[in-house]
Amino acid sequence: MNLHKLSSRLCPTVTQKFRHLQIQSRGQQLEAVGVETESTEQNPLSVFRTSEQDPTYHSERHTGQYYTLPAAHIQKLFPHGLPPRFQLQIKTFNEGCVMVRPPALELISYLKKADYSKPPLRYILYGDVGTGKTMCLSHALHYCYTQGWLIVHISDAHLWVKNCKELLPSSSRPSRFDQPIQASQWLKNFKITNERFLSKIKTTQQYVWTKRERTEKGQPLGELVDQGVNRMKSSSDVVGAVLRELRLQAGGATEGEGAFKLAVAVDGLNALWGKTSLKKEDRTMSGGAILTALSQTGSLFKPQSAYLPSELLGEEGFDNMEPFVPVSVSNYNEKEFESCYLYYLDRNWLQHSHSRSEEGKKELIFLSNKNPSILERLCAFL
Amino acid sequence: MCVSLSLCLVRWSRYNPYYLDPDPSKDARVPESELSPEEKELQELKTVSPIKAALSSDTSSAFNDPLISKFINMMMQDGNKILARGIMTQTLETIKRKQVEKYHKSPAAKREEIECNPYTVFHQALENCKPIIGLASVQKGGKSYQVPVPLTDNRRRFLAMKWLITECRDNKHRRTHMYEKLSQELLAAFANEGNVVKRKHDLHKMAEANRAYAHYRWW
Repeated sequence: MNLHKLSSRLCPTVTQKFRHLQIQSRGQQLEAVGVETESTEQNPLSVFRTSEQDPTYHSERHTGQYYTLPAAHIQKLFPHGLPPRFQLQIKTFNEGCVMVRPPALELISYLKKADYSKPPLRYILYGDVGTGKTMCLSHALHYCYTQGWLIVHISDAHLWVKNCKELLPSSSRPSRFDQPIQASQWLKNFKITNERFLSKIKTTQQYVWTKRERTEKGQPLGELVDQGVNRMKSSSDVVGAVLRELRLQAGGATEGEGAFKLAVAVDGLNALWGKTSLKKEDRTMSGGAILTALSQTGSLFKPQSAYLPSELLGEEGFDNMEPFVPVSVSNYNEKEFESCYLYYLDRNWLQHSHSRSEEGKKELIFLSNKNPSILERLCAFL
Repeated sequence: MCVSLSLCLVRWSRYNPYYLDPDPSKDARVPESELSPEEKELQELKTVSPIKAALSSDTSSAFNDPLISKFINMMMQDGNKILARGIMTQTLETIKRKQVEKYHKSPAAKREEIECNPYTVFHQALENCKPIIGLASVQKGGKSYQVPVPLTDNRRRFLAMKWLITECRDNKHRRTHMYEKLSQELLAAFANEGNVVKRKHDLHKMAEANRAYAHYRWW
């Protein structure tokens, strides 16, 4: 049994008690834990948890295990960007736990080895619906945040492209349309995530917003962002200006303190080359990385079975993004499924008595096909 | 009686009384040795007598709950079972979320008392809403009186479910979702509070008040 393998890897003495612990109810579990005197882990049930909270040190031996995102980091890093059901889960369980999975580890290892003096590498996370692309992206972003990078995170590019409540013709370029609400929302979130960088980075040129308002050269970026947040009409242009500034300054490695690495993370990348197109990603940037994840769920006019980059991005998008490093994300394998199941048991989430039995587990595997999001939705009402 | 060609209307035709109900659960088959003589007779009967067609909503999995199925059927409108089932699962999820959140935020001493299983909450809440005695309208001497009357189990269950659903449909704020309203009402009924339990108590009081007319009942 997989349980046997998992437990014997970490704690050989626990094997006999493990099954016993698994099936009984919560009250009796706590008693059995108390009986266990010679356990090498603090808690024998934490086979699915790891105490390693820093993504920098996550390696293959941590695959399938959950690590906790510190609450302060969640607030700063992810004011937007986490999937809504995951946000609900954080609220319910009173903690945010992310599973360490091979695609995320692969991405982090590429980020560690990449050469930052050259133009940035692009990584595309692709996979079927509900396999965990956005979560892997968040894991990698957490790594970037702990390394002190500046993060430009577009939580869902589809929001910028469709169902716009307010459209304004752009003031800077005549053929473009602006969305002021989304732009100011994004600027607010950008401010929360990158507080400490805002005072250090200076603008390199002058920006004129209206007849009376202008931002001079050499002003801190924070002012630019505030300008966008306060004035809705010009917020989209502010977004463009911010991106341009960051792009120009990301590689400035000659000045010791001004140097920073830039991580651009876009979720739902295929939206940018769909029906309405926004600014294209430019290549003139060094000292950073571009991480993206495709998303079929919001995309217009694409069939539901399409999940490969070539299908979702379209020809134009593919040519623009090339060359890129594709990272495939798939359903849980058996070990990861075990881990997820144990995590839900631990958090008191699987309540139905049948779901805690062996047959119930087999039913869950059958019904969800080990797809993370379907499993989550199933376990929600069981 | 005509039967349409595309649908087999067997379920809605009136079955002969000796047709038995199907039992889809896996434990239906018990080995011969463990049965008492009466149960052996029943088992014999099952092999011989015909059985009604099973509904498409019944499953052999242990997750199948007849009470929940009945509630879903009562909530269903215009035959939209998918929507009704979706609302039910969302309700169970909301109840579980609220309870588990409370569980994780409370100190270890109070954790034992919090019931996190949405199915037990639902069953208990329904029990708390079931009236014990009902009123029937009896006409005597040109006037009709509200007479206290015992209720069968099916009638009590039906009344409890009906009250829950109508309460959530009519008396709540228009902009809240049904699953939200249902979960609030169920959690309140679980704690013996809320409008549905109040309605049950009102019915009991009326029956108590009309005790004098009990002899008008002839059945």
